[in-house]
Amino acid sequence: MNLTTSADVRHARGQFPAWSVKIVLALLVVIGGTGCGATPPAWFRLNMVEATKQKLTPDQERQVATLMTAMFGTPDDPVALPETGLDEAKLRLAAGPVRSDIVGRKNGLYREHCAHCHGVTGDALGPTAAFLNPYPRDYRPGIYKFKSTERADKPTHADLTRILKNGIPGTSMPSFALLSETQIDALVEYVKYLSIRGETELGLMRAYFELDDDAEGKLPETREFLVGEVLEPVAEKWKAAADALIPVPEMPADIDMVASIAKGRELFYGDKANCVKCHGPTGMGDGQANDYDDWNKTIVEWTKEVVGTDDKQWANRAHRVLDGDSLEPRTIPPRNLRRGIYRGGRRPLDLYYRIHAGINGAPMPAAKGTVPPEDIWHIVNYVRSLPYELDGELGADRPMVARDRF
Amino acid sequence: MASATIGTSSTARSTVNWPCVVAWMLVATTALLLSFGALVTTYDAAMAVPDWPGTFGHNMFLYPLVEWFWGPWDLFLEHGHRLLGATAGLLSLVLAAVTFRRGASPAVRWLVVAAVVLVVVQGALGGLRVILDDKTVAKVHACTGPLFFAVATAIAVLAGRQGRGESSGSTTERSEPVLHDPFVAVGSLSLPLPSWAVGASLPTALAVAAYLQLVAGAQLRHADATLAPSTFRWMVAIHLAGAAAVTVLSALTVIAWQPHESRAARRWSLTILAMVMGQLLLGGGAWLFTWGVPSWLQEAWAPAEAVLARSPRGAAVITGHVILGMMILGAAVVLALEWGGAERLERIARFGRQGRGRSDGTGKPLSGAVALQTRPERGAR
Repeated sequence: MNLTTSADVRHARGQFPAWSVKIVLALLVVIGGTGCGATPPAWFRLNMVEATKQKLTPDQERQVATLMTAMFGTPDDPVALPETGLDEAKLRLAAGPVRSDIVGRKNGLYREHCAHCHGVTGDALGPTAAFLNPYPRDYRPGIYKFKSTERADKPTHADLTRILKNGIPGTSMPSFALLSETQIDALVEYVKYLSIRGETELGLMRAYFELDDDAEGKLPETREFLVGEVLEPVAEKWKAAADALIPVPEMPADIDMVASIAKGRELFYGDKANCVKCHGPTGMGDGQANDYDDWNKTIVEWTKEVVGTDDKQWANRAHRVLDGDSLEPRTIPPRNLRRGIYRGGRRPLDLYYRIHAGINGAPMPAAKGTVPPEDIWHIVNYVRSLPYELDGELGADRPMVARDRF
Repeated sequence: MASATIGTSSTARSTVNWPCVVAWMLVATTALLLSFGALVTTYDAAMAVPDWPGTFGHNMFLYPLVEWFWGPWDLFLEHGHRLLGATAGLLSLVLAAVTFRRGASPAVRWLVVAAVVLVVVQGALGGLRVILDDKTVAKVHACTGPLFFAVATAIAVLAGRQGRGESSGSTTERSEPVLHDPFVAVGSLSLPLPSWAVGASLPTALAVAAYLQLVAGAQLRHADATLAPSTFRWMVAIHLAGAAAVTVLSALTVIAWQPHESRAARRWSLTILAMVMGQLLLGGGAWLFTWGVPSWLQEAWAPAEAVLARSPRGAAVITGHVILGMMILGAAVVLALEWGGAERLERIARFGRQGRGRSDGTGKPLSGAVALQTRPERGAR
């Protein structure tokens, strides 16, 4: 036999060509690399940023995890103590893995629709979170931006329902308008559950700081302490949300809109409302833009603390937590008001809420107390006119408008 | 040794190339099956039927049609996926019977064995995915599906060639791949191409890359909610790099295949490139429907309304991305085998040895048409 090439030699020996073996090996590596072990059951991740900030010991972290499981159950088997005011039947519809029950009703709605961004724990560390700008909401501090209640209050059930139905334009939060009322209701209840759970966890971790020496570094595992002192104050705020609605004076039906917009413009640039400081002279968000929201600020400030500490062992641990349990902090740019995209809702009422109470968790301050309620309507009217404002009408020296930029 | 004769009665009965017909039926069924599978993933409907192999306690095949068609959408998808899977399994067995009875070439026989093994494994994986409710099994299930589709396509192409007498060993004009000239003319251009870039190498590499893209995409679509964002970011990066690789390979294939004597081959390579371009668009659409407008694009374009989750349009784009990926894989397999790589595959199937196929007694392998018309005499052994 005349063997002329290496391929002929291989064939004569009865071997596959080398490239085919390489491809098969590469396939095995890729498939194997994705993890061929069984998928572990979903679990609630401990708030490691707070645990490390509070310098909890491993035993204390374990105690918090145990107490949290006792009070709130697991992602597959949630528990709602009566003091939370939550409906456990709704939670069970939203919790657990995605599956249909015997009548074809889908369970595991949170895992299906929300967890990939907001995370199983509601810590905004879902797989896709790093791709989103702004990052998805971390429910654990219990802070919500778009609501009809005062700045420090919790959102109402209707507020969260509206967000789910409408989504948040200009962000990755989609509208779930195609879900049924029952499904949206269950998801809202589950979001409240994750928030109450997260705030309770924060309360427990911070309680170690106030322990007496007699406690030997362990929290009391009594109902009085866990429910009465930690859980109930959190749950009460959620229950009180329905009574904390912002009082909104009716906009006069015969309002002179041209005059109202002019008045609003005056307030926009004036010292009282001072919207121009952040939203800029053009209203395009070109004012102060180097601030962080509360969630990112927590990480930024803690990073500074970690960098400045002399405790190298703690710093090393903190760095590991920062790498694994947080995302790169981002500044929050002021909104470009000329685009007609309103994240918290496009109704005049929604804008009234934003201006009156500010945006909780964001640098946007409340006009309440500095601008009379009826004047807030003028600012609303002016802001709503901004996307349509004609060239040359804005600012004393005709600042740039949207058309100039594009 | 079984004697092989060429009988007139056999010739009469062989006017229809049944292996080829059944193989293409299997390809079509598998395409529909994988489309249903992609929809099942898009709508997260895998657990719409909690039991397996039955459907809500019924025998799968006897589940009431009314409940299937008029029940929940998730049930329609999942039960339909199961029925199509069973159909693909049965067709694979029929294909095995037909090809082995008709004396197919070694490559076809090996591929049919692979198809039967794959379809059995795939069915078991589908069952395990339901019984264990496990995402890892779902990932493997999603990787095996396109592999089965590629194998079915390869069988169909090879069986068709065999029926036309273009099987192993026969060097026809049609099977001659491309001009083995390092300078390949593309229109008025002359591009220097290395020797490895001609022939079936590029389509084969394209098929492998398209399959790996489907594997990478399956990891993204079945990502567990507990996965770390950093890991997911890497997975997306790999998928994007794979998209670049498939695009480059498809473009190179077009360049390398332009001097091909067969107009169909040239058009086929261009069709693949067009499909890849469409796939890039669908990929961008899938991103938009999943995560909205990226922040770097928002300054130039951002809709005033939020994306509607689970909208039919979004589901069509996202699912279409999977289906078109599968079609690219199939098209690359066709290009590689129909106009170039069949002989190499036959050599591999014979482990490099000549003459292990059906023989007419001369020691030389039969050409495909003759092999198809050749049957062992009953009781000849």
